[in-house]
Amino acid sequence: MSTKRINKELADLGRDPPSSCSAGPVGDDLYHWQASIMGPPDSPYAGGVFFLNIHIPTDYPFKPPKVTFTTKIYHPNINGNGTICLDILGDLWSPALTISKVLLSICSLLTDANPDDPLVPEIAHIYKTDRSKYEATAKEWTRKYAI
Amino acid sequence: MPSSHSVITVRLIAAESLYKRDVFRSPDPFAVLTVDGGQTKSTTAAKRTLAPHWNESFDFEVGDNSILAINVFDKKKFNKKDQGFLGVVNIRIDPDSLVREQTYAETLKKSNSDLPVSGKVILTVGKKSQAADPRNPLAARRAQHSASNSTGSAAPIAPPSVPGAFPVTSSQPQAPANHRQYSSFEDQHGRLPPGWERRTDDYGRTYYVDHNSRTTTWKRPTLDQSEAERVREREDVREAERRQYRNRTLPGADGDSSNGSRSDTPVTVQSTSATPAVNPSVALSLSATGATTAGLGELPAGWEQRTTPEGRPYFVDHNTRTTTWVDPRRQQFVRSPGPDTSIQQQPVSQMGPLPSGWEMRLTNTSRVYFVDHNTKTTTWDDPRLPSSLDQNVPQYKRDFRRKVIYFRSQPALRILPGQCHIKVRRSNLFEDAFQEIMRQTPEDLKKRLMIKFDGEEGLDYGGVSREFFQLVSHEMFNPFYCLFQYATIDNYTLQINPNSGINPEHLNYFKFIGRAVGLGVFHRRFLDAFFVGAMYKMMLGKKIVLQDLEGIDNEMYKSLTWMLENDIDNVLFETFSVEDDRFGERVTIDLKPNGREIEVTNDNKREYVELKTEWMISKPIEQQFKAFMDGFNELIPQDLVSVFDERELELLIGGLAEIDVEDWKKHTDYRGYQESDEVIQWFWKCITEWESEQRARLLQFTTGTSRIPVNGFKDLQGSDGPRRFTIEKAGESNQLPKSHTCFNRVDLPPYKDYESLRQKLTIAVEETVGFGQE
Repeated sequence: MSTKRINKELADLGRDPPSSCSAGPVGDDLYHWQASIMGPPDSPYAGGVFFLNIHIPTDYPFKPPKVTFTTKIYHPNINGNGTICLDILGDLWSPALTISKVLLSICSLLTDANPDDPLVPEIAHIYKTDRSKYEATAKEWTRKYAI
Repeated sequence: MPSSHSVITVRLIAAESLYKRDVFRSPDPFAVLTVDGGQTKSTTAAKRTLAPHWNESFDFEVGDNSILAINVFDKKKFNKKDQGFLGVVNIRIDPDSLVREQTYAETLKKSNSDLPVSGKVILTVGKKSQAADPRNPLAARRAQHSASNSTGSAAPIAPPSVPGAFPVTSSQPQAPANHRQYSSFEDQHGRLPPGWERRTDDYGRTYYVDHNSRTTTWKRPTLDQSEAERVREREDVREAERRQYRNRTLPGADGDSSNGSRSDTPVTVQSTSATPAVNPSVALSLSATGATTAGLGELPAGWEQRTTPEGRPYFVDHNTRTTTWVDPRRQQFVRSPGPDTSIQQQPVSQMGPLPSGWEMRLTNTSRVYFVDHNTKTTTWDDPRLPSSLDQNVPQYKRDFRRKVIYFRSQPALRILPGQCHIKVRRSNLFEDAFQEIMRQTPEDLKKRLMIKFDGEEGLDYGGVSREFFQLVSHEMFNPFYCLFQYATIDNYTLQINPNSGINPEHLNYFKFIGRAVGLGVFHRRFLDAFFVGAMYKMMLGKKIVLQDLEGIDNEMYKSLTWMLENDIDNVLFETFSVEDDRFGERVTIDLKPNGREIEVTNDNKREYVELKTEWMISKPIEQQFKAFMDGFNELIPQDLVSVFDERELELLIGGLAEIDVEDWKKHTDYRGYQESDEVIQWFWKCITEWESEQRARLLQFTTGTSRIPVNGFKDLQGSDGPRRFTIEKAGESNQLPKSHTCFNRVDLPPYKDYESLRQKLTIAVEETVGFGQE
């Protein structure tokens, strides 16, 4: 039953919270969470706090949670709707993954973008051809929307 | 940013004759458009083509002397060092000269790397009209901060759509929000033609509904095409479908291919061609070799001798409407213990029919043996007699032709005396067919079928009813009516739409569809429809297995597979129950009695996966399926259809398509092999030599269905869009070939000689049912 598993994840998060992110249900709805991620210090997102929406399907963990950014972010794998292109949220989902592991993967995606599988090809192109320009824009957006 | 700037719209239409850098595959080309090295936009990637058609528009701000650069890349190689570079063009834009839209056809140039390029890109450049663009309500907002963000990529970019291709991109989940800005009568390419609507199915695939013709298509209609052209295109497709449908056959039975020659006498077995009653030379040669006990003199009244396609003679008794291998002039007698322990002799023909699911056969030494299709076993013993065991019985071998003959010879499938008239209007075919078929009793429907299209002359000697069944199957299974939908595994096999309840009458329609499918099977008319494998299994009452879920709910399939292969302790906290959303309310349903109290552990997880799979596949369509089977079984008794397996049932309902091996070969990809390799040559030699039944079985084995797309193998679809038939070098030469139906791929080990290839391929195709491969 998904509620049991979600409650366990919640308890684990409380007992051993990850350093760079936090997450928890919105109100009483166990299937709707909000999360926040601190921009990794070694990335152009440093200093920013990014909020995310998490919808947990009824047949979790057989189906992956739906995770989207609510804070605007300039990143080759995250589009203007906050949709994240991350393999473990799609094809490579496995019931062994947890919300906490998903959030940590998103943190590392912020540090190491994957321009070879871009959701936004324009940003990926700039990322590959003009890294300093990409970093400047990402910083600018972080300053504007995430601080 | 340029000081005096204006906004231009660049519509990148297409590219042609791109350079082919790979021998075996074409690139997935996409273009990146950059103005003055700053603003960057990109098209979606077209699939496997040297002539991509994008037809996508982008807006840029330009100054007096802006340069528009268009780089074309191969998406598949974008992560390689050269990014799959296919060429670049640079165009100087002078906004003042853009009074009218200008069209450019620019030759692609090399970059510094000196990789060879070829071809052209075609585009139009025009000044953006001053009127607010209704397609982009966020344009104004975007302009506000476009100065700093330089790309505008934060604004919603409409999801990619490759014209003419299957609109699914695997790596990019389409955010539903992208669609909200368009009504269902328009999209990022503008308005749809009048009467057209854009819809999204349960799997997020976009399709288009033409309310003018009540048809659906995956292909986006364009305004450039006139209604007449669309009608013509539709007609072309229909004609191709008709041609393909007319060529369907079944082995062993069905003599209707010779138009109208069918007599009104309801003969249960018909040969494929008129055979002379007795061919003396055949009889003579057979008696000489002793292969079959051929008799002498004339056959008894009402008897006829015929020959199977392999040349074996058999005998038709028109009196009892049965067939037998045994020559009635050489009546065989079987000995059976009589009540007074004496041995009685009685002719085989007087013992009554074999039990349901049984069939009598001859070995090549003319010895009679019996096949029990229920258990797939064989025995020397006549099931009508007390049994004894004998180990030397020939092995059970699948033989579709014989099953069909057996099936057809059953009394329940005999055409009853009288006629069944069905009159329909072409313009109202679905409703008329529904009324006509539902108002008659199943007994009436078993009479000789006489179909008439209103206002048309023409007696039904087969041709009319064939057309009727083709047309009515297009209607019944048309996703437009929401009764059936296409499977995720491709875009043409059908499954029951779990949401069909949107039509309050849906169960009556499913009963009708079941009857119509049964009617087709009963009267030997093929339906132009192919279901997902699980549907045929359910029709046979066979157990649904996890593999059946793959094409229906791939995510769940993967998670359940994971569950079986991994330790679930402390990972999954399931009980033997599922949660279901019933009109917004979450309810718990037990998968077995008191299931919600029983925890799933590593020890019992196999049972859980079985129950859950069954629930996932059959539960959502339980009522619909029951109604369908109620209708089907009114014409075809369940115990008779169960002599077939699921693949054979597909052939029984849809017929065997004539397969064009040349077309097949032409649209086949190789991995690890080359077309010139010996093994590949043998493979095609084997296919060419095979009969159409075996070819169809190979298709079922590799693609999951015997259906071929209307336009041939080039349109074959996999679970992730177009997928050509692929032969991959894999496995050891002592292993059987394997298949991956989601990817239309067969793993062919490098066999040492033609004979072992033929043998292994035959075993794989004939002896493996369902999937069992991967």
